[in-house]
Amino acid sequence: MVNIAPRETQDLNLMEDEAFRAHVRQWIEANYPADLRNPPKRLHWDENKPWYFKLAEKGWLCPGWPRQFGGLGLAPAKQIIFTEEIERYGCARTNDHGIVMVGPLLINHGTPAQQEYFLPKILSGEHIWCQGYSEPNAGSDLAALRTEAVLDGDHYIVNGQKIWTTLATDANWCFLLVRTDKNAKKQEGISFLLVDMATPGITVKPIINLEYHDEFCEVFFDNVRVPAKNLVGTPNRGWDMAKALLSFERIYLGSPRLSAYAFTRLRQLAERMGVWDDAAFQETYGKLRLDLEDLKSLYGTFVEKLRRGETLGPDVSMLKIFQTELFQRITDTMLEIAGENAGLLEPMEGNRNLNPTGLYIQARPATIYGGSNEIQRNILSKNVLGLPG
Amino acid sequence: MSQALDDRSESIRMIRDSAGAVAPRGGDTKRVRALRFTNPGFDKGVFAQMGELGWIGLAVSEDAGGAGLGMSEAVALAEEIGAGLAPEPLIPAMLSARLLAAAEDKALLAPLLEGGKVVLTAWQEKADTLAVPGTSDAPRVFVPMAAGADAFLLPVREGNRIALLALDAAGADVALEKTMDGGNVGTLRADLSRAARVADDIGAVVEQALDEAALATAGHMLGLMEKAFEMTLAYLRTRQQFGRIIGTFQSLQHRAADLKVHIALTRAAVESAAAALDAGATGAVRQAAVSKAKHRAAESGLLVLRQCIQLHGGIGYTDEYDVGMYLRRGMVIANQYGSATLHRRRFMALAPEDVE
Repeated sequence: MVNIAPRETQDLNLMEDEAFRAHVRQWIEANYPADLRNPPKRLHWDENKPWYFKLAEKGWLCPGWPRQFGGLGLAPAKQIIFTEEIERYGCARTNDHGIVMVGPLLINHGTPAQQEYFLPKILSGEHIWCQGYSEPNAGSDLAALRTEAVLDGDHYIVNGQKIWTTLATDANWCFLLVRTDKNAKKQEGISFLLVDMATPGITVKPIINLEYHDEFCEVFFDNVRVPAKNLVGTPNRGWDMAKALLSFERIYLGSPRLSAYAFTRLRQLAERMGVWDDAAFQETYGKLRLDLEDLKSLYGTFVEKLRRGETLGPDVSMLKIFQTELFQRITDTMLEIAGENAGLLEPMEGNRNLNPTGLYIQARPATIYGGSNEIQRNILSKNVLGLPG
Repeated sequence: MSQALDDRSESIRMIRDSAGAVAPRGGDTKRVRALRFTNPGFDKGVFAQMGELGWIGLAVSEDAGGAGLGMSEAVALAEEIGAGLAPEPLIPAMLSARLLAAAEDKALLAPLLEGGKVVLTAWQEKADTLAVPGTSDAPRVFVPMAAGADAFLLPVREGNRIALLALDAAGADVALEKTMDGGNVGTLRADLSRAARVADDIGAVVEQALDEAALATAGHMLGLMEKAFEMTLAYLRTRQQFGRIIGTFQSLQHRAADLKVHIALTRAAVESAAAALDAGATGAVRQAAVSKAKHRAAESGLLVLRQCIQLHGGIGYTDEYDVGMYLRRGMVIANQYGSATLHRRRFMALAPEDVE
């Protein structure tokens, strides 16, 4: 736990953009652990927490939260700069579900008691959250979820199973979508519950993925008693809140940072493999480069909307589709030029920057998670192009 | 030229609105169809109207008689012209206006800006190039809508400078070829002894004007893409097969979603390049921005236009149905002012490596 008292007193919104950028950049470079830049895997809490606490101490953990809730209250334009600098330096994503999901959820829909209890514990790092959304039979079709919560006096009794719960082994709290009305239409019987992971009846099992990493987990709920006061908002009205939280994910997943990172590694690999000057490689490389540049331009148009304080519409799905598929095409090219190194488990020559297999395999789930690209195309087709259902 | 952003979005909106006069967005192609394979292949009255609306001198300074606007307005206008399939050589005329304004040549500039005289620049000596060698005795090829020219401008090398000469079209040796969309291009074999001198040293302006024409052409392509895609969506929403509206088939929905992504990428590339030029980009920065936009427009443009034919099925392959007119225009402009490959190579040769 940290003392978060020496909060940034100056209103950073008053700084000129470029001065603010320099301020953030300088601080990140002085405080982010160099050996954790662009980590090849999602970091666990024990690796991540020194950085989390640094941010917390500085008062920069929650740049977007209003100041009265302990955030920095940054205006959208400044938040964008903040994120750009974090991405530019290759800082690892923290265990950020509390910051980007639970915080905004409670600030918008929580009771004063919930806000008072939970928000400070996110800011101090006492509570690390995981997201209980997907289920074995509710993946792309999330609203089909069946984990149920039945009211029993002043508690809900929760039974069911969640899956693909990111870093659940690190979390001590879970925000959970549960079915509270089995007779309503599937979107209309869902509620939001906040669950202490130490409650009896909860079992967490890591899933080993194709990277041999244990980032995702299964979480089982067996007669878990959750205080009714931990329900957020109105019973059976959790779906709209859940969907709103996912819009963060779609712009995050559409950021060019992963493709840009892979692209720099592609060049290093091409030079190492001696194909850099090959005309066929240069054609492919040029096409990928322009795809990346145009993705940056398109991303810029969405960022510009955020800067103006607008809410993003369903067309943000375009970014997720193009970014994740470009990331894959770049890593496909890496694998193709890597020769037999394409099959090696570890980075080539002990050099983390020459890691075609690692990036290739990491690029695979990008088109699946956060709403598969097929779902994103359904969204575009129905909600943007107006094609019939 | 430096206008506040709000001001700019207002001028762009006004330009778009005014375009409806010449290129009805409702999609009536009667005028365009009637002009195909005629001589000169476009309507000089409409060209004059474009002059009256201030379009030919859109990016020419107000001092020189233009509208004093920039590339953001020019690409918006080119997009509307593309969506309406107007065959008038507006982009080549804007290029000529840029050169004449720089040369401070009032004699040809004034009638061109008014739309009373069609002045076309015969700069090109081979296919797929942006280079202007200015070889004095080289035939000048692919002059768009040359059948309607009243005068030609010719960049001609003199030592290490490029001079600009003007030649009356009457009596000039112009060999015409028909283009896929019903227009024409000409090969000019100029008798320079008949030409008048307009400027002594205009090489840098020619390069800039060609970049602007390439970017405007990318905007024109964007207009074709948007309109053809709009027609295709309307078709997907109404056409029935197997007792169902074909737009309910997921394979077609996903294809449409992908085409939308390509259109969005093209718009982002074109509009960001226009903003860069309006912010004063010069040299390699300008060239890289233009190449990025023209590459995307040529590449994604033809992809979208040919997929619009496919999504229509057999009716899309008929001359009678309008969607094919967009593909045919796309084929004519895709490589004008540089193909996707040319611009990709130029971008890669110029662009700073963005490597951490």
